[in-house]
Amino acid sequence: MLSSVQNPRLFFVRCRFQFHLPSKSRHFHGSVAVRTSETVMEPQTHASSTTPPSSEILTIRKSLLSHQKKAVDIAEEYLNRLRQTEPQIQSFLHVSENALRDAQAIDQKIERNEELGPLAGVLVGVKDNICTVDMPSTGGSRILEDYRPAFDATAVKKLRECGAIIVGKTNLDEFGMGSTTESSGFQVTANPWDVSRVPGGSSGGSAAAVSARQCVVSLGSDTGGSVRQPASFCGVVGMKPTYGRVSRFGLMAYASSLDVIGCFGSSVVDTAILLHAISGHDILDATSSKRVVPDFSSQLTSMELFESKPLRGLRVGVIRETLGDGVDMGVISSIKAAASHLEELGSTVIEVSLPSFSLGLPAYYILASSESSSNLSRYDGVRYGNQVASDELNSLYGDSRANGFGPEVKMRILMGTYALSAGYYDAYYKRAQQVRTLVQKSFKTALDENDILISPAAPSVAYKIGEKKNDPLAMYAGDIMTVNVNLAGLPALVLPCGFVEGGVAGLPVGLQMIGAAFDEEKLLKVGHIFEQTLQGCRFLPPLVADSLS
Amino acid sequence: MSTRVSFVMGVSSLLQRRCLWSSQWRVRNYSVRSAPLPPDLPLLAETARISLTPKEVEEFTPKIQQVINWFGQLQAVDLQSIEPALRADTEGDNLRNDVPETFENREAMLSAVPSFEEPYIKVPKVLNKE
Repeated sequence: MLSSVQNPRLFFVRCRFQFHLPSKSRHFHGSVAVRTSETVMEPQTHASSTTPPSSEILTIRKSLLSHQKKAVDIAEEYLNRLRQTEPQIQSFLHVSENALRDAQAIDQKIERNEELGPLAGVLVGVKDNICTVDMPSTGGSRILEDYRPAFDATAVKKLRECGAIIVGKTNLDEFGMGSTTESSGFQVTANPWDVSRVPGGSSGGSAAAVSARQCVVSLGSDTGGSVRQPASFCGVVGMKPTYGRVSRFGLMAYASSLDVIGCFGSSVVDTAILLHAISGHDILDATSSKRVVPDFSSQLTSMELFESKPLRGLRVGVIRETLGDGVDMGVISSIKAAASHLEELGSTVIEVSLPSFSLGLPAYYILASSESSSNLSRYDGVRYGNQVASDELNSLYGDSRANGFGPEVKMRILMGTYALSAGYYDAYYKRAQQVRTLVQKSFKTALDENDILISPAAPSVAYKIGEKKNDPLAMYAGDIMTVNVNLAGLPALVLPCGFVEGGVAGLPVGLQMIGAAFDEEKLLKVGHIFEQTLQGCRFLPPLVADSLS
Repeated sequence: MSTRVSFVMGVSSLLQRRCLWSSQWRVRNYSVRSAPLPPDLPLLAETARISLTPKEVEEFTPKIQQVINWFGQLQAVDLQSIEPALRADTEGDNLRNDVPETFENREAMLSAVPSFEEPYIKVPKVLNKE
């Protein structure tokens, strides 16, 4: 373990696989000047082992099929860790009472030699804006406190069909509106790397739960970065699929043209297995794609089988606009190091520019708040949810919503109402849609010339709870890396690539990889190779490392 | 002589101003002719059917104003002849047949209704606004 007294550049070298400064004909010059105040560092892990992450899902499957472990034992292990860490992390709004019963059912299937689904015995956390028929689904909002849907979301139905154990519902910013879980109607989730910091949002609970190994994998949703940013803050893998890859039926709508359901895992393989389980066409979602879903994890081979330059021929574009002003030095260094790592693996890395990049943020917020003002009008206290009685219908609506919605949701609905008001449609909503066209075109051009684009997932690492709560624009600014991908409907994978000093053992930095529409296969393949060859980094929070040993 | 000078100066300053204007073409205002009025929170709250307290009106107004001003930066962008994109959907007709399907779990749906009196979902009277 290197001490922080040493030359930070030396540190930096140790953490990379065959790192050397880029030379000669390379277009991309990763200048790795690291300021001592934001040192990129190695984490203080409890063991000296820094082996790459293995698939928890496949390990569980192997243990079950070889009768080495019972599903009940595995479930108990996770549930114990959940109970132990929950007081500090608060990632769950509801923990299932049926987890052990579900595990027993898996054990019985094994005894009867019945076929097991690909997620048999795997504990999955589900973001609370995704409907589960046997558990409350609140959307993180008081207006839906105690609400139990009459149906499962299609993604949940598919999980159950694969044998997954839904361990509970995770915390989120109310209806997906927020980047920290501080806008949850119920509780704030803490980052397992440093409990005084945010886990990110809005899928902060799902990210923290996987990070703290309270469950194996989890589902989140991503409208403007809500899977990718918390994945970065919590040091886990987060996948945002292409719009239309996963059915949105049963996902409480925030912005229908932008929402997707996404996945969290502690490794790329687990994320790929989960994504495969939930993807596919659904007649209940007219925006879901009929495209065949490839078996994402089958192409993710073991490291021993890698060639010496496994990414030879891959064209990588670093988005220039994401490495400039407003981005933490430590984050920039980590991304540049990641780019060098990709070069070492055989890819060519160049810098690309996305001209309309900065316009994406206001365009996103106009579209999202406008669409949300429409989508949230269904929460009126009449057919479901909590009602505030009144003598008159308009007051019933007004008071039920005033009582049930938190301040961030109210503000966004009002902003959206304003932007859609008669006479203002052209000035705001229509212009935002035109910017969306520009963003789509510039991504398409960049992805014609590159196989994947890379950038940070967020301009900083996890910040302190309460730091940005009262400044909406400061909070929105944190979404700059992610929103354009939603506007274009493209897939993106975030994986942890390094650390910045802070907390007990450093704070993780996530690398975002963006692909062409429906090209999740390529993203996962590249991500897997990157992850398996990244040396010197172990993304296990100390809080958990203690409880595992 | 002085009139001639001033005439020449007048023309050259006109030309200068012209050049300035053409170099500033990017900052042209492409918005609609009438600028949007600042947000009227009580009116918006009524439209959105959310009963705001006076304290909330006071608290939200500057924040919302700030965000809406920030939205305004799109006014300065040249978007002429750019088609608005509805969403990222690239696939064509994906609708299912217009055939009704029975939802099996009616009881669960009805049990979620706050104010239910078989077979009616009860709501209070609707008053006409004056």
